[in-house]
Amino acid sequence: MIRRTPAETARSHPFETRRIALLEIEKIQQLVEMMTANDLVELSLKDGEVEVNLRRPDPHAGACAGTHAPAPHVPARPPMPGSSNPAELFVSGEVAAVDLVEIRSPMVGTFYAGPDPNSPPFVQVGANVGPSTVVCILEAMKVFSEIKAETSGTIERILAQDGQAVEYGQALFLVRPQ
Amino acid sequence: MFRRILIANRGEIALRIIRACRELNVESICVFSEEDRGAEYLKQADQAICIGGPAPRESYLKSDRIIAAAEVARADAIHPGYGFLAENAAFAEKCRACNLEFIGPNVESMRLLGDKASARNAAKKAKVQTVPGSDGVLEDDNETIRVAERIGFPVMIKASAGGGGRGMRMVHDKTDLLAAIKQARMEANGAFNNGDLYIERFIDRPRHVEVQVIADRHGSVLHLGERDCTLQRRHQKLVEESPSPAIDARTRSDLCAAAVKLAKSAGYDSAGTVEFLVDGKGRFYFIEVNTRIQVEHPVTEAVTGIDLIQSQIRGAAGERLDFAQKNVHFSGHAIECRINAEDPDERFRPCAGVITRFRPPGGPGVRVDSFAHDGARLSPKYDSLLAKVIVHQPTRPQAIRSMQRCLREFEIEPIKTTLPILRKIMEHPNWAASTIDTGFVERTFC
Repeated sequence: MIRRTPAETARSHPFETRRIALLEIEKIQQLVEMMTANDLVELSLKDGEVEVNLRRPDPHAGACAGTHAPAPHVPARPPMPGSSNPAELFVSGEVAAVDLVEIRSPMVGTFYAGPDPNSPPFVQVGANVGPSTVVCILEAMKVFSEIKAETSGTIERILAQDGQAVEYGQALFLVRPQ
Repeated sequence: MFRRILIANRGEIALRIIRACRELNVESICVFSEEDRGAEYLKQADQAICIGGPAPRESYLKSDRIIAAAEVARADAIHPGYGFLAENAAFAEKCRACNLEFIGPNVESMRLLGDKASARNAAKKAKVQTVPGSDGVLEDDNETIRVAERIGFPVMIKASAGGGGRGMRMVHDKTDLLAAIKQARMEANGAFNNGDLYIERFIDRPRHVEVQVIADRHGSVLHLGERDCTLQRRHQKLVEESPSPAIDARTRSDLCAAAVKLAKSAGYDSAGTVEFLVDGKGRFYFIEVNTRIQVEHPVTEAVTGIDLIQSQIRGAAGERLDFAQKNVHFSGHAIECRINAEDPDERFRPCAGVITRFRPPGGPGVRVDSFAHDGARLSPKYDSLLAKVIVHQPTRPQAIRSMQRCLREFEIEPIKTTLPILRKIMEHPNWAASTIDTGFVERTFC
C-alpha cells in the first residue's frame, strides 16, 4: 500500500513505502544480476543508516578458497521496470537478507494473523511451513480466504499486522527456505 | 460530496480524474497493475493500491479486487473512467450492492442504452431517427422490395452474420435488387455459414457527429453541444472538433434535442454521449450511446467552460446540476488531436518502450492531457493513447493554425507516434475545407 501523509502530498515526496522488504529484495536481485554480469565478488552499499553487503562465490577462486557465502538466493521474478537509483529505496534502517522467500498477497484485502480474534495466529516466527500450511487469512467483501505458504521453510519475519489492509503482491511473510 | 473516490483506471484518464478530485477536495485512490507500478501519475493520487498483474484481465478488469481495494481504502465511490469496466452494468451493480457509489448512470439505463439493438429500439420509441432498414432478417422477395422502396435507394445489403465490413453489397436500383439478394445470400452462406440478410439505407460518405449529454439524479438532462469525430482510421478516432463544421444551426438544434430526448426517455442520469451519422443532405441517424465519459470530453470542456468530470462526480454524489440549458454557452472552436504510440509507416503498429524526450506544446488556448514525461515507460499491454492536444480559439481557421503549430512543436522521442500523420491531416486542404468523411484517412494516407 502506498499512502501519503498530507504533508507529503504537498511536497511531492517519493512514496513512503510499507513494502520495504519487497522493494529491497527486488533491488538486491538487480544488484546481484549486476554483480554477476560484471563478475564482481563483493559489493557494499551504504546510504545513510542503511548498509547492504553482498558477496558471491569467487568464480576464479580454487575449490578450497576461504569464506564462501552461499550463492544469493532470490525469488525468481521479472526485474522491476524502469531503472531507479537503488540508494533511493533504502529508506529504512534495516538490512535486508538475500536468501529469503516472500509469501505475497494474491489479492487486495485485510490481513488477519489468526482464524479469529480469540485464537492464536496461524504461524509465529520460527514456525515450519510447507506448501499447504495456512499462514493467514485475507478478507475482502466479507469473504475470508485462507492463504497457503506455497513454499517450504521457516517463518523468518511477519511483515503484515493483524487488521492491516494489504494490496496485491504485497509481501506478507519472509520464509527461510530449507 | 464523497470523501474518497477510487479510480479504477490508468494513464491519462486516471490522471484527469485525480485532478478533478483535487479540485473538489476529494481524496483520490488510484489502482494500478504491476506493469504500472512506479508510474509518475500515481504520485498525484493520495493513495495507490496494486490490484494485480500486467494483463488487464489480471488487474483493471478484476472487479472483485477493485471493489476490495475500495473497501480497504474506505472509498465512498468508484470512478471507472473509460474502457475497462466503465460500461459494465454488472460491475456497476456490484459496486452499489457493496455500498460504493458507481460514478456513472443507473444500471437500468446503462443496460437499455448500452446494447446496440436495445438502444435502437429505445431510439425508435423516442422517435429518434435510426438508419432506415429492414429491422430484421429478410424473409421473402416481396417484403424485400417493399422495404427497399420504403427506405429508398441506394440500399446496402448486409449479412447478419457478417462483420468488419464483410458481407456487404450496395444496390442502386430496384431492378438489380432481387438478383443482388440472391447472390448475397449465396456468398453469406459460403463465408459465414449463415445466409440471413437485412438491408439498410446506404449512407454515402457519412460524418460522425456525437452529442455530449449531462444529467443529474433529479431529472435534469442537458446537452453540451456536439463533437464532430469524422476523422477516423479503422473506426478509431484521430481528431475531434466542436462545433461541427458540417451541420447548420437547424440540424445542430435537432440533433441535440434528439439526444436529450433519447437520454431522458431512458432515465439517463450521468454524463454520456449519443452518436449519430450525418449524410450529405444534413439528415442524421442514431447509431449508439456511450454510457460513460469519453476520451474527447476536453473538446466540450473547451467550448462550454464546464468541467465534465467534476459535473459527473457531483451528479453521482446526488447534487443537482447547477446550470440549466439556457445557461450553457458555446464559445469559439476547439480541436483535439489524439497522439498514439503507433508507427504510421508500419501500419500503425503499437510501439512501446521508454520515452527519453517529451516536449509538449503550450501557449494560449492550448491544453495537453497526458500521463507521459521524460523517462516514462510505455507498456505494450494497454491502449496506445499517449497524449491529447486540445486547442481552443475564437474561430476554426485560428484553431487549425494553433493545432498546426502545436503538432510541429510537440517532440516525442524515440517512440514512433502518429504525430507525422496528424501534421499531414491538419495541413491538408480537405481538412480546412471540411470536405472529409469517415473514409478520408484510409483513402488519402494509407
